[in-house]
Parts: sequence; structure tokens; C-alpha cells
Amino acid sequence: MGKGQFVTRRILQMLLSYFIILTMLFFVFRLALPDPTAALVMEGLSAEEQAMVRARFGLDQPLLGQYFTYLTNFVQGELGLSFHYRAPVFPILLDRLYNTLALMIPAIIVSYLLGPLLGVFLSWKRGSRSEFAGIIGGLVLRSAPLFWTGMIFIMVFGIWFNIFPTSGMRTLPYEAAHFFDKIFTLDYLWHLFLPMMTIALYYLGLPMLIMRNTMLEVMGEDFIELCQAKGLSERRIMYPHVARNALLPVVTQAAITIGLAVGGQVVVEVVFSWPGLGREIVQAVRTSDFPMAQGAFMMMSGLVLIMNFLADVIYSYLDPRVVYKGGKK
Amino acid sequence: MNNNNPGTKKGLRERLKYLKPFLNAILEPVKIIFQDPLGIAGAIIFSIIVLIAIFAPLLATHNPAVMNERIEGSLIAFSPGGEWQQYRIIGEKPINELVIGSQQVIAAAESGSVIRLQEDDSWLEEEVDAEIDFFAAAVSEEMIIVAGERGRVYFYQDNSWQERHLDEELDIHGLTVSPGGTIYAVGEEGAVFSWQDDSWQRLESGSNRTLKDINFIAEDDAIIVGFRGTIIHYRQGEFSDPQYRSFTDETFRDLNGLHYFSEELAFAVGERGTIMGYDGSEWFAMSSDSSRELRGVAVISPEEAYAVGYRGTIQEYDGENWQTHDRITRRGYRGITTVGETGYIYGVDPYVNELAPPSREHLFGTTHLGRDIWSQVIYGSRTALMVGIIAALMVNLLGFTVGLISGYYRGGVDSFLMRVVDIMYGMPLEPFAIVLVLIFGPGLWIIILAIGLLTWRTNARVIRSQVLSLVERPFIKAARISGASHLRIMLVHIAPNVLPLAFLQLAVAMGYAITAEATLSFLGLGPPRVYSWGTILHAARLSGAWRTAWWWIIPPGVFISATVVSVFLISRAVEVWTNPRLRGGNESAPEPEESQDPLPYERQSN
Repeated sequence: MGKGQFVTRRILQMLLSYFIILTMLFFVFRLALPDPTAALVMEGLSAEEQAMVRARFGLDQPLLGQYFTYLTNFVQGELGLSFHYRAPVFPILLDRLYNTLALMIPAIIVSYLLGPLLGVFLSWKRGSRSEFAGIIGGLVLRSAPLFWTGMIFIMVFGIWFNIFPTSGMRTLPYEAAHFFDKIFTLDYLWHLFLPMMTIALYYLGLPMLIMRNTMLEVMGEDFIELCQAKGLSERRIMYPHVARNALLPVVTQAAITIGLAVGGQVVVEVVFSWPGLGREIVQAVRTSDFPMAQGAFMMMSGLVLIMNFLADVIYSYLDPRVVYKGGKK
Repeated sequence: MNNNNPGTKKGLRERLKYLKPFLNAILEPVKIIFQDPLGIAGAIIFSIIVLIAIFAPLLATHNPAVMNERIEGSLIAFSPGGEWQQYRIIGEKPINELVIGSQQVIAAAESGSVIRLQEDDSWLEEEVDAEIDFFAAAVSEEMIIVAGERGRVYFYQDNSWQERHLDEELDIHGLTVSPGGTIYAVGEEGAVFSWQDDSWQRLESGSNRTLKDINFIAEDDAIIVGFRGTIIHYRQGEFSDPQYRSFTDETFRDLNGLHYFSEELAFAVGERGTIMGYDGSEWFAMSSDSSRELRGVAVISPEEAYAVGYRGTIQEYDGENWQTHDRITRRGYRGITTVGETGYIYGVDPYVNELAPPSREHLFGTTHLGRDIWSQVIYGSRTALMVGIIAALMVNLLGFTVGLISGYYRGGVDSFLMRVVDIMYGMPLEPFAIVLVLIFGPGLWIIILAIGLLTWRTNARVIRSQVLSLVERPFIKAARISGASHLRIMLVHIAPNVLPLAFLQLAVAMGYAITAEATLSFLGLGPPRVYSWGTILHAARLSGAWRTAWWWIIPPGVFISATVVSVFLISRAVEVWTNPRLRGGNESAPEPEESQDPLPYERQSN
């Protein structure tokens, strides 16, 4: 099995999964809202306009017909009209998606840069007090719920010391000409710091501990002894040889973490009033905005699937055995 | 019959035999936990949480839903010109009247307490009659008089309290000593009494309404006020006809307090911000800014007067108009008094003890509604453990079954089930739960369902990879050759060998479920009347007070973290045992979503 074949197969799998999720979502929402017309059709529309809206979303058709309209609309990026914003859902969600990624990606990068480095350090300091403290610290960081850490950070750094802003992405009011204008500013980084650190610290413990464990395992293998026999320095052995070989499980974990992070970020966005997908879906529940909740869920689960896919592809480059043998390590 | 009984017994025993490996598989990890110091630490923390949950009603010091009130007797001293001092608590019971004599300052409080100012500026509380509340006090050169419910009056003479009760059981609301030294008491049913010749004489006031206050400016000139706008002048031993206003008039309101300052000036105050003024000939209603009940008024000079009342209301008079003075506290004052250079506002009504920092009374302080956070956190442990255990069992049952079937049958079944797992991995938990709540409404069971329906994916993968390796073992092949059914092989031969791993996963799933429940409750998706650590934090966030009330947000988070850490430590101890590669010094920390096998499933088969 070649690499191209592997990627193709993985894409097909992803599309199938997404298709099934979309289908489930459709039927679950129809179950909850058998006649979305009443809620969807806005007040003050004339009879013809109402009929137009119904036709647009296929609500005049039988269930199966509606389902196909739903799929067609989805492919065209037509996710319905938000009850709350009284505007199409998709452009709103697209904006929120960028905001979500602008927080999530830096956070994951920070935690997966720092985590393994700390893990190497811990395995180096094996048996010492700092190793013990590191393990306990990692466990505690992973146990403290994200939203709580966020609240504590806001309270301490935002209110008591007043050195970081407590909510939002930018100091209001501001006009961003385009997306990059929004994120490539000092003000944005200033706002990003606390929520990013909240997420990064939560996800940091896991790669750190995994890295430490696999480092210890790799250090017991024969080729390390060979390196020692060659007279390589401790540092030369630790980083290029041991750490490189110990990275694989960390990458696997990264793949799973990125998928989880999409859901986990919801609370952080709520706590920090970050205008992302998560905050939008929570707001949608508060305002009973069905199309918005549906659209946000579609986007989030799509994001999870894409993240998982990307992680798998990266993994296949790191460990070609996956592609060629397709078997167990 | 005789043959039958041993037969069934033997059958039962035969069957019990199969339970033994299951029991061992469950007991073994428990033993293992206690061989690991960190495992013991985890087990201890976890046991404490479980004990807290079991004994929650005993440990909780308050009802978590009750708005706790504070009851105290307190005052604010002031001097003319508006120099206000600090709010000061001087006793345990709310003060109903405070009087300033030439020698002493006396406060009559609820539950029959009398509080006296000592020479060293401290206050001494003394219980005189615990059966009743004192409403009124008066002081003269020789003695102190206090009076209250059911006509009970006490004179303080010769260093002791002496009963001087009325003949009738009428509540006394006002006491005063006239400039000539006669003691007057007013109260229920238009009662006016004077102390003459060592006994109480009832005077015919001409009213049968409750009278609240009496005030003299000269021996033969007094005013009495009472309910429903009653104002009676008492001059030269004669009561004027009680003045009542018309029924629709705004002054047809209960009057609580009075200050008869001079022949040309008197004020009476009452409910709904009523202020009545007297100019020497006429009573007239004055407009006030407040619509809250006023309880007392004190005139310092014709250009300065204050009226106080409910919810910290202070009205200020500048010679022409009444205006709202800045509030000092939000507590309900019961009166104001002033003599010369000293004055006191006193009270106070029991008030909601909101956002109180930790104290002995409230170990973790109170919320913005005066609810006890310690008790909420204690009851919250029940929710956390219940959700944690039920959800973890559900997750484990689903994951175990899927993993077992998938790993045992392999092939098409495996592919199909793993595709399902794949789809599950495509849905993030929090949004999934949010959508469920949107459709079914908030509730604890929705949260359990959301966790249970989604997070079995990890368990299924972990169990499956273990089963895959077991199936190739010789003893399974032997069982198959000997003709054992699939079900029998799965349940009798494979399941006990996977159980320790399942036990580990149970602990991990529990930690995960507790965090998930807290998270979802924090988002406001939990049921409104159930206390959980998440809902406490949700309420803190909603109130906006969490930014300063650290005692509100730190305890629930610490409890969540402690519970989850304890479960992690337990599962870590078990993992060291289930994973032989980790034994012998190499320790490993368990993680909730960590696949046992570094390679996700789709790379293992095919």
C-alpha cells in the first residue's frame, strides 16, 4: 500500500464519517423540531415570502426530500438562517471558526513544544525530587478543569494584578479590515495570552508524561548502549537519539488531543468571552437557535475529523510502517 | 426430589466456579493499589470524597439552598454636620430603640436584651427577659426603663431590674420620660399609660390604633403618632381628637417615628417614605425621595434633620426639602436618635449575609444570595460521584462489550464497529452534550447520557487491542478446539483476563466523567436545583461576583481536581501492574484518552 493510497483511503473514511454524522444530525434535529417552519419563518413575512423560505430549505417536501435538500444545501454552504441573528448562519460561523483556530492552534503548539521538552528533562532527572514534582504537577494540571483554571487566571492576573485583559479578542472598539489585520497585532497577543496559557497548561501534562515514559523505555534499548559505546555525550544521546525515537507516541497523543481540544475549548471561550465557535454554540442553546447550534456542531465535528486526518497523515510520514506494513509495531 | 436438590446445588456451584476468576480480576487491582504509595494516597483522597458524599447531610452546616441571614445589633454613630462613623456591631440582637441619657446610653433589643455603653467605650449586652422582644427604652436621671411585648416593663433601679408590668398584655412601642419626670408608655389598642403613684394608669387616648411613639417638648405638650396616620396632641392633660387622613390620602399610612423638636417644628415618618411635617399649627405631608419604610427621625436643628429606615435608607432635611443621603450600608435601620453632640442610627433588620468571606459560621463563605458555599460543595460531591460512577459504568459496559466483540470476531464485525468508533471520535463531547440539552432540555441524566454515549470510544479501542492479543494465545485456541461456544470463550476465557484493564478504564472514565459533568454544569446545562461543583461555579460566574469572591470559586475547583487526581493515582497504580513493561521502576501515568497501543486501530488490522 503506497502513501497516496493510504491518504486517499483515509480521506474516504473521513468523508463517510462526516456524512453519517450529518445524517444523524438531520434526523435528531427533525426529531426535536418536527416543523421548523414555525420557528424558521420570520415574523412579518408575507405568505409568498414564507413559501419562498420553505422552498429554499425544502420544508415543503416529505422527510426524505428534506434530507436531500439539507445535504445539497450543506454542500453549497447553506446552513439556514439563525433565529437569533436573523442572518445566514454560515458566514457568521466562518468568522467564529477563524477565531477558534486563532486560539486553539497557538495553544496546542505551545503545549506540544513545551510538553515533550519537559518530558525529556524529567526522564533525565529520573528518580530525583524534581521528577516527582513534575509528575504530580502534570497530573494536577490535567485534573484541574479548564474553565476553573481560566477563572483563577482571570481573577489573579486580570483583576488582582490587572496586567492582562479579561475578555474578548481585541480592545473594543476596533475595525478589522480583514482577518489577518485582526490577529497580527500586539493587542491581540495581549488578549490571547491568558486563554492560550489556560489551554496550553491543561494539555501540557500529557505529552510531558508520555514523553518521559517512552524516553525511559527507549533508553533501555540496545542502540542506546551502542551510542554510549561510541562515546557520545549524554546530551547527544538524549536529544537526537532517544528523544527522536520517543516522539512517536507523543504525536499519536497529539492527534487525539487536537480532536478533543475542539470540544474542550468551548468552556475556555465562554470564560474568556472569546468570540469562537464554542461560545456561539452555548449562546445558541440559550437562545434556542436551532440552525446556529446545528451549524456550529457541523463545523466543530468537521474540524475534529480534519484534525484527526491531518494528524494521521503526519504520523504516516513519521512512521512509514503504518503505511507499508499496515500492521502492528 | 432428593436427587434433584444436590443436582441444582452442584450446578450452582459449577457456575459459581466461573465467578471466581472475575472476582480475582477485580480484587487483584485493589491489592495492587495498596502496594503503591501514590496509589494509597489516591485511595485515601478518594475514600474521603466518598465519605463526604455519604455523610453530606451531617457535614453540611447549613441548608445549601437557604439564604442565610445575619442577625445583629449595630449602630452608626454620627455628629451634627454629617460626620458619619463606621458601622459597628455591638450586640447579637437587633436594637429597637436606643436612648441617650445624661449618664448613659441604653439600647433595647430583641429577645429581651439590653445593651449598655460602658465607660471604656465597649458595649455590654445583658439579657433581661428572653421571652419577649423589647421595643422601647427611656432613661431619666435616676433610672432606666425598657418595655416590649405583652405589657412587660422593667425598671433599672438600685442596680437591679425590677418588673413593673402593665395589667394588660399590650405591646408597648414607645416609652418616654416627660421633662417633669413622669414616665409615659404608648402601645397597642391606643394604649397610653403613665406611671403615677407606683402604678400604671391608663389614659383615654381616644384612639384604638397601635401607637408607636410619644415625644414631649414641655411637661404639658406632647405628640403621639401611630398606625394609619394617627397623630394625637397631648396638651395640658388633654388628648386632641386623633387626626386620621382620608382613606385615599397618601398620609393614611402607618407612622413609626416622631421627633417633636420645638413648638414650630416636628416630623413624623412612616411606611412608604411618608414624612409628615408640623409647623406649629398644621400637619402636612412632605415629599421624600424614598418609597421605602422610614422608621425613625431626628431633628438636630431647624436646618438639619435625618430620617432612616428600611434597606439603609437615609433621608436628609436641609431646612426645606428632604433628599436621599448616600447609603452607608444596605441594612434596615430601626431608628435614629440624637442628643447634643452625639447621635446614633441603630438597628438592624436581619439581612442576607451575602458574599461573606470564610468565617467560622460559613467555612467557605457565602454566595451573593447568602447561601453557604461549604454546604453546597459538600452536597456537590454527591452529584459528582453519582454522575461519575453511573457514567463510568455505562461507558465501561458499552466500551467493554464493543471492544470484546470487535477484538474477538475481527474481520467485518471489527471493521464495522471500529468505523462506529471512528464516527464517535468525530464528535466533540461538549458540543454533543450542548446539542442534546438543546433538544431535550437541561438535566443530570442528559449529562450522564452524553458522557455515556460518546466516551466509550476510548474504552472500546483499549479493550479491543487487548482482546486481539489474547485471541492468539494457545489457551483460547485450545478452548475453541474443545468446542466451546463463542459466548463461552468470550465470557469465561477472555473477559477475566481483560477485567483488570477494564477496571483501570473504569477509574479513568470516572475521572473523565466527573470533569465532564463539572464542565457541562458550568455551561449551565445541568439541572437548576441540584448542587454540583459545576453549578456552583456556574452560579458564581452568572452573578459576576466571582471576580472578587475567591472563596466562591476556589473550593469547588479544588474538590474537582482532588477527586480527579485521586482517580488518576489509583488508575496509575493499576496500570503499572497491568502493563508489565512498566514494572520494575519504569512508572507510567495513566491518561483518560490515551490509547493503550501507540498505533490507532486502523493501522493494526488490514
